[in-house]
Amino acid sequence: MKTSLRKTVVCSALLGLAAAAYPVSAHHSTTMFDRDKLIPLTGVVKELHWTNPHVAIYVENSVKQPNADTGLWLIELTSPGNLIRSGWSRGTIKPGDKVVVNVHPLRDGSKGAALQKITLTDTGQSFTYSIRDSDRPNIDQEKEK
Amino acid sequence: MKHELRAILLATLAFAIGTVQAAAPAEKPVLNPAPTAKDWADIAKLPDWSGVWTPNISDQDRKARSDMPPWTAKGMEQVQWQLAEEKAGRPPPLFVNCLPEAMPGWMLVSHNSMEVLFTPGRVTMLGESDGGRLRRIYTDGRKHPADPDPTFHGHSTGHWEGDTLVVDTVGVHPQTYISISEAAGVPNNGDMHIKERIFLDPKNKDTMIFEMEITAPKVLTRTWKTTRIWYRQRAQKYDIIEGVCSEGYFRPDKDKWGNDIFVPIQHDVGGNRIPPK
Repeated sequence: MKTSLRKTVVCSALLGLAAAAYPVSAHHSTTMFDRDKLIPLTGVVKELHWTNPHVAIYVENSVKQPNADTGLWLIELTSPGNLIRSGWSRGTIKPGDKVVVNVHPLRDGSKGAALQKITLTDTGQSFTYSIRDSDRPNIDQEKEK
Repeated sequence: MKHELRAILLATLAFAIGTVQAAAPAEKPVLNPAPTAKDWADIAKLPDWSGVWTPNISDQDRKARSDMPPWTAKGMEQVQWQLAEEKAGRPPPLFVNCLPEAMPGWMLVSHNSMEVLFTPGRVTMLGESDGGRLRRIYTDGRKHPADPDPTFHGHSTGHWEGDTLVVDTVGVHPQTYISISEAAGVPNNGDMHIKERIFLDPKNKDTMIFEMEITAPKVLTRTWKTTRIWYRQRAQKYDIIEGVCSEGYFRPDKDKWGNDIFVPIQHDVGGNRIPPK
């Protein structure tokens, strides 16, 4: 199962890269996020909103980066259904987890961003997603092969 | 006093007569008959559309570029503006208010899964978002109402031609978008008529094909014929998730008595939660 999950995650990452040029959100286009910028946020997960239409993760960034101030950041994702089909679950990321999140920031400079990849510091496990992961039938059966 | 009483009685009598004359002759109500054992047995003869269906989003993307609806000049002007705005990082917020993506948007640009239920006289499509999106397609032989009350998904009738469900939809709100993406589309502006042929790909029964013909004389110069593709997912973990769209506009909190409650959170014009300051 672990291997399967890793395969899923790697596969999702590749698909994610392929899809990066296109909008990736559930109910609206995401070009308000600057896909030319990819910044790492390092810190602790404060809140997880596992809700439709979009999941959100709040992360307290403790390491200042160019284009990324310290403080509480809001990271937007796609819907719970789309995330589940990319190998996530509601327990994948929990408040209190130490993480590094690679994000595409909002163009307006505020502390909002779209998730590209999140890595759990303690385990090294990474998660990403693409809403195009289910662009084929019976994706789960394929993954088990 | 006597005069007053007589006046009241006469007025009451006149009102009563008027009411009786105004009442239309009683019409026999049209009933939805109880399904018979044969009705249920006939359901088993229909093609197998069970499972959860996910849209082919890559195909939607391709069609947005290669299969442009035949917009009027005014419609095309709007869509070109929307595409330019999206490219510039200001995507037009067509679907961020939690109103349904509706018809035909659900079928054209949805990023969420759906399932299809067969019951006697009805095909029902249930989607993962919009607070429980739903299409009722009546297959009991009824006609459209002469003047249907407009709704987000319209009034749909359907019949089976072999293994193909043929659907006819009218009575859609004029405000629903004929959309090519989540950031580009034009309201149908009224008098829209949608015909669909829905069937499983004979080469791969886990692929559902929607052939659509959209006639919208206010914004299209001719009927737009297009197709969309959905894929079956059988894994139980992909079962439809309750998708109350407005849930994302709230966060869990406690009230002063310690009860669990939802409190509103603010979103920006693009549909994202407003980031912390």
